[in-house]
Amino acid sequence: MRILTLATTALLTLMTAGFAHAHAFLDHAEPRVGSKVAAAPTEVVLFYSQNLEAAFSSIEVSDANGARVDQGKPRISASTMRVGVKALPPGTYRVRWQVLSVDTHTTEGNFSFTVGP
Amino acid sequence: MSRPLLHTIALAGVIAATCSSHALAHCFVGARFLPATLATDDPCVADELSLPTVGWSKTGDFPPASELDISGEISKRITENFGVSIGQNWTSIRQADGTLTQGFNNFETTFQYQILKDREHELAILSGLIVDWGRTGSTGSGLATNYSLVTPTLYFGKGFGDLPSSFSWFRAFAVTGQVGYQIPTTSFDFTQNAFVPQQLVYGASLQYSMPYLKSEIIDLGLPDFINHLIPIVELSLSTPVANNFGNPYTTTGTVNPGVIWVGSYFQVGLEAMIPVNRASGTGVGVLGQLHLYLDDMFPSTIGQPLFGGTSSPRKLTF
Repeated sequence: MRILTLATTALLTLMTAGFAHAHAFLDHAEPRVGSKVAAAPTEVVLFYSQNLEAAFSSIEVSDANGARVDQGKPRISASTMRVGVKALPPGTYRVRWQVLSVDTHTTEGNFSFTVGP
Repeated sequence: MSRPLLHTIALAGVIAATCSSHALAHCFVGARFLPATLATDDPCVADELSLPTVGWSKTGDFPPASELDISGEISKRITENFGVSIGQNWTSIRQADGTLTQGFNNFETTFQYQILKDREHELAILSGLIVDWGRTGSTGSGLATNYSLVTPTLYFGKGFGDLPSSFSWFRAFAVTGQVGYQIPTTSFDFTQNAFVPQQLVYGASLQYSMPYLKSEIIDLGLPDFINHLIPIVELSLSTPVANNFGNPYTTTGTVNPGVIWVGSYFQVGLEAMIPVNRASGTGVGVLGQLHLYLDDMFPSTIGQPLFGGTSSPRKLTF
């Protein structure tokens, strides 16, 4: 009986407290993670699994020498973060990001894409 | 409405209403997420609930008996880096002649302290002290002992995402492991009329993260279900090392190939349990687990450390 009571308590606690938002995972990106694109993009767009806190989310794009090629401030809307990039010559570029989901969970990551024929 | 049910509802309401503040993570180390492993433990303190973990196997006896284990464990951060886990396991053993033995094992608590989380190198190190409290289970059935077991344990986890990009898809691999030294509080068990050995208890996992592959290395456009999978092989072993007079120093344990599906709020794991030798079991067993991320489900309530919860959010530096 005590076990049943505890189990019911746990279940009711879960139900009454309600679900919130979780960590924001990178769902997909444009250009796609690890991809090779023929035409240089004018911006990098990241799509997340949760809505983001704009004040604590950021993105950097750099070339193979580590020089920044992003320009302007990141624009964040709901679960999407985008930043403009300079005219990109053929080469490999690294995107580094960190975001805070709306419930204060922090996640981060980085990936590369290549511009070339 | 019955009185116990009223108590239950009242308690649930109090818990939900009184817990407040905000949250951080389960086992994230930089860009790496290390899932909760089934046979061993992950290298992070966290707010999480494993309920249930169900295992079925055949023992190494002649003839073998069927063993069913059902367990639950809740882990709670006391501070940001210090956590406590409480677990209980129920066992049912059916002998070949039909004899049935059932009952609870001893109550287990684990105290853990996060020594290191290196984001750049996806490295986590955790220290712990596992205590199986004697006389808290079904001692009459022989499934629990009259003495306690104390096991200082070191845990680690390492992702290979910091390898050069030329390693490409290999960077999605990660390893975790633990090594503990189990010390019984008595050297001789008078009920079994046998020495109680000190044991080395150790294990490891090798895992390949499809979520990591997709978000950090290459997005292959695979189905969403596949992108949530972490194929894994676990190894869980114990070896008597002292106070084992007259008995063989045989290592026992299992190799567990399987897979973990990782969601935003929970994960589901399923593994085969392959005995490493005849003393470890007979045939292939099965181990399954539902694991809830309490810090994601309730980030402003029970998913927070009890003391010194996360202060205001901070912007990380690259």
